[in-house]
Amino acid sequence: MASAVQEPAAPAAPPEPKRSKASATEESGVWYPKWYWPSFASPATIWLAIFFILPLYVVLSVAFGTSDPIFGAPLPVYEPWYWSTSSLTHVLGRFFGAAAFWQPALLRTFVFVFLASLLCLLIGFPVAYYVARYGGKHKGIYLLLLVAPFWISYLMRIFAWQSLLTSDGFVNYVLRILHIAPTPIDWLSGKPITVILSLVYGYIPYLILPVYAGIDRMNVSLLEAGRDLGASPWQTFRRVTLPQSKQAILAGLVIVSLPMFGDYYTNDLMGSPKTSMFGNLIDKTITQQGQGPRAGSLVLILMVILLIPMAYYLRSTRRAAEGIG
Amino acid sequence: MSDVALEGQVTRPQERSAGFGGWLRNPWRKPWFLAGFTWAYLAWSILPVLIAIAFSFNAGRSRSVWQGFSMRWWTGDPNDALFHDPALRQAIVQSLRLSFITMIIAVPLGTMFAIALDRWHGRPARTANFGMLFSFVMPEIILGVSLYLLFTNLFKNLVHLGTGAQLLGLITFQLSYPVIIVRARLLTIGPEYEEAAMDLGAKPGQALRRVLLPLLFPAIFASFAITFADTIDDFVTVNYLASTAATQPLSVKIYSAARGSPTPAVNAAATFMLISTLMAIGVGFLIYRVFSRGQRTGEGAGVTDFVNA
Amino acid sequence: MPSPNERRFSRRQFLGRAAGAAVAVPTLSAILAACAKPGQLPPGVTQLLPARQDRPVTLPLYGREPIATDAPLEEGSTLQVYNWDSYLYKHTLKEFTAKYGVNIEYTTFNNMEEGIQKISTGQIKPDVFFTDIDKINKLVMAKLLQPLNHDLIPNLVKNVWPVYQNPFYDQHWRYTVPYVTWTTGVGYRRDHIDDDEVAAKGYDILWDPQYKGKVSIYDDYRTALGMALLKNGIYDLNTGSDANLKLAADDLVRLLDATNARVSINASYSAFPADEIWLSQAWSGDMVGDQYYLPKGVPTSVLGYWYPKQRNGEVNNDTMVIPTSAQHPVAAHTFINFMLDKKYAFENFADWVGYQPPQNSINPSELIADGVVPKTIPEAVVRQDDFKKGHLLLELNRDTDQLWFDAWDQVTSGG
Repeated sequence: MASAVQEPAAPAAPPEPKRSKASATEESGVWYPKWYWPSFASPATIWLAIFFILPLYVVLSVAFGTSDPIFGAPLPVYEPWYWSTSSLTHVLGRFFGAAAFWQPALLRTFVFVFLASLLCLLIGFPVAYYVARYGGKHKGIYLLLLVAPFWISYLMRIFAWQSLLTSDGFVNYVLRILHIAPTPIDWLSGKPITVILSLVYGYIPYLILPVYAGIDRMNVSLLEAGRDLGASPWQTFRRVTLPQSKQAILAGLVIVSLPMFGDYYTNDLMGSPKTSMFGNLIDKTITQQGQGPRAGSLVLILMVILLIPMAYYLRSTRRAAEGIG
Repeated sequence: MSDVALEGQVTRPQERSAGFGGWLRNPWRKPWFLAGFTWAYLAWSILPVLIAIAFSFNAGRSRSVWQGFSMRWWTGDPNDALFHDPALRQAIVQSLRLSFITMIIAVPLGTMFAIALDRWHGRPARTANFGMLFSFVMPEIILGVSLYLLFTNLFKNLVHLGTGAQLLGLITFQLSYPVIIVRARLLTIGPEYEEAAMDLGAKPGQALRRVLLPLLFPAIFASFAITFADTIDDFVTVNYLASTAATQPLSVKIYSAARGSPTPAVNAAATFMLISTLMAIGVGFLIYRVFSRGQRTGEGAGVTDFVNA
Repeated sequence: MPSPNERRFSRRQFLGRAAGAAVAVPTLSAILAACAKPGQLPPGVTQLLPARQDRPVTLPLYGREPIATDAPLEEGSTLQVYNWDSYLYKHTLKEFTAKYGVNIEYTTFNNMEEGIQKISTGQIKPDVFFTDIDKINKLVMAKLLQPLNHDLIPNLVKNVWPVYQNPFYDQHWRYTVPYVTWTTGVGYRRDHIDDDEVAAKGYDILWDPQYKGKVSIYDDYRTALGMALLKNGIYDLNTGSDANLKLAADDLVRLLDATNARVSINASYSAFPADEIWLSQAWSGDMVGDQYYLPKGVPTSVLGYWYPKQRNGEVNNDTMVIPTSAQHPVAAHTFINFMLDKKYAFENFADWVGYQPPQNSINPSELIADGVVPKTIPEAVVRQDDFKKGHLLLELNRDTDQLWFDAWDQVTSGG
């Protein structure tokens, strides 16, 4: 940063105190020996290398491998020079080729994830905003209720909705009383709206908390300044709040939409094969015999699809972390 | 501030605050709409679960039509009740076993990792951090399927599918939670306390153990609670890595039952899972209160602090 | 991580496990051969053609002999039985232990692929394994089964339908004996649907939109597509014809559209007796067993089962085999003989499993008269000539299997 003011020519740091060997490394900031932190990190790093990174390589080996000639079990090929792309080409053909009967599932997944994430934002942001800005004395209670879904378990929440949406369930009962729908609607028979709203219901807490945290951290005096200067609530919102919370919103959207791409259980419980998503394709192929390479290819494709938003999220968190610390 | 400077952009204050439009534009009005909206969301979020809990006490077989109060799905019915069905009881044991062991391994591992990441700089540190965050955002099905393929191919003679494989998978999946929670806390602590301790003659290990760790207790206990809650709920990873019916925890049983033809016994099972989670959280919170007695300042502490940890 | 040699080695073990022989260290040429083309048949093994009724298969012995007839019974040991869940009466197992002094450990698998995989990796060493016909060729090629000693299993000739002494899938019954038989038809709730309506419509009733939300089909690609083929008058249930499969797949998509049918493996014995499903593709054994799944107070007369009048629907049986890795082969033979005894086979069927064993002593009309089979589902009884008139789902070669998978994928992915 170019500064008009000259930096005083002072010594860089106070003279090192008389400490013994194995200390004085500027990197750690505190006087720990150089090997200290890497050794702390190594158990977890080795763990992740074996049980996270290595399995991904096995997926590649299976996707580009072959099948056992007798039983059709997947035979991973670990040497990259023997890799065969036949399975991958076949799978891509099912998405984009002539008999692309998997294409509807792919498109459907994008549409569902987009709509569900959007709804999560439209519903979740006002809630996060209200609790962060106007929570006041009751903030603790609000937070407790907002965090409760994390503790209630996804299964129970979706299962609760399944009971409400049966033909003789509460929702149809209410609709009948209000004369909106005299005959019971079959919500669980593969309706896109059911699946989308279920996705929203399941994932929205994951958006509200980061957005809340972001708004909470926001500098309140900026908002008040905006008000003092005569801006209406809407103007304050648009010109001060929104830009400030952009980071949190994007982080929230990524945390919500990425897992949704791999979601198969929501459709399993609340939808039907008619509303299959990408995750259902993977789930179905991995359990079928002879389909190992196909399942591997599907996982590979899913990871490629998610690479861009994942990289974006990781970069923005790093920037944010560097911004704070 | 003068109207002159803003002429042409803003109208006069007196005009603006009159009538409905004035109410709309008043920056200091109470946010009734937002309040209502928030309460509506909270109701939408929590009520269905309360209804499901209530239905676990339904006298009939239905999950949607109330037929009277009864304990039959909990203890009454000799065949179908939650506590009389040996398969469900075994599933409960498996759930608790997986959650406890995952919790005791993942949290210390993650805490060490978090401390290291916070202090360690340079390329390898960033790569390790990247790997950890990667595992956080990835859809669980990718992790489940890749571990399944790992244990049935590369490691097929070392690790067989079953409880061992499930634990390995769960710990991997849960590892990022303690890291993120503890790291967030570390960011607010800073290195001064340890530096002070070492100035006073403490060795690095002592500084860590006696200064840093106690400061991190709230975050560590929060990690225990959240890891426990999250593991009890997990069904994607454990399903792919299960072997016999005995290794299927409660979450998988609930999932299979929900896809088939569930009775309120499933509601009871899910309620039971919820109760154990809440108890774990409650215990974690109490321990947090006890340990952070000396550190709490102001009224914001307590739930907010715990939740924010 | 294992060294490259070890990895390839364990793969060769999987493919070519020999009975009891120590697995030799592969020679360099063998390693190179394995290196060059992953996924080849082990040496000395040729591909067996899938068995068909008009193209019977004699399974090779690969130079092995069954165990000796005078080998002693392993008393006091624990016999490992590996089977589906809830597919064998526990009481019958206890009777075996009481009679022979051999304990039994009953381990279950969730699906056949998993079962076979655990055997081939040596994770489980069962003494008796229950498997389907379409897996026999593969298990034999992988040398996972041992040939049977007929002298130790006299009950097969004495009690079982004669056809099983020379079944088309295992001529001269070298490796297998039958366990139970079944037909696949349509189960229906007689308290909601008329017998006459079902008799008139047959398979078509599953497509009837007036039963929207009340229909289920099996979550199995062969069974579901097989039914669609039969509905359209195609009787080759092992067809490799693109056109036929496309026809069947389109018809199933139409089914899902018309009735929002549930695709589930257990609807016929969970949702069906619970009255949530009124029409279910059903195996005859599930129907017979449903009398025990009905809630209290519901009479068995609500159960209905339709199978084509000419008895030309889908029929099948499964088998009991002894893996090569069995630790107690004499006890295994004794157990198989025990299960073929007319008293114990009947008890297993009537008191628990619901699937009918091919025993000569079982008289179809007596079954109904005695109440073993509810009298409203007489079609659920399997008769000997059902196998002549009916059609079996049999092993497919790789490419044909892939076509069937593709067709099923099309149905289940909403495409």
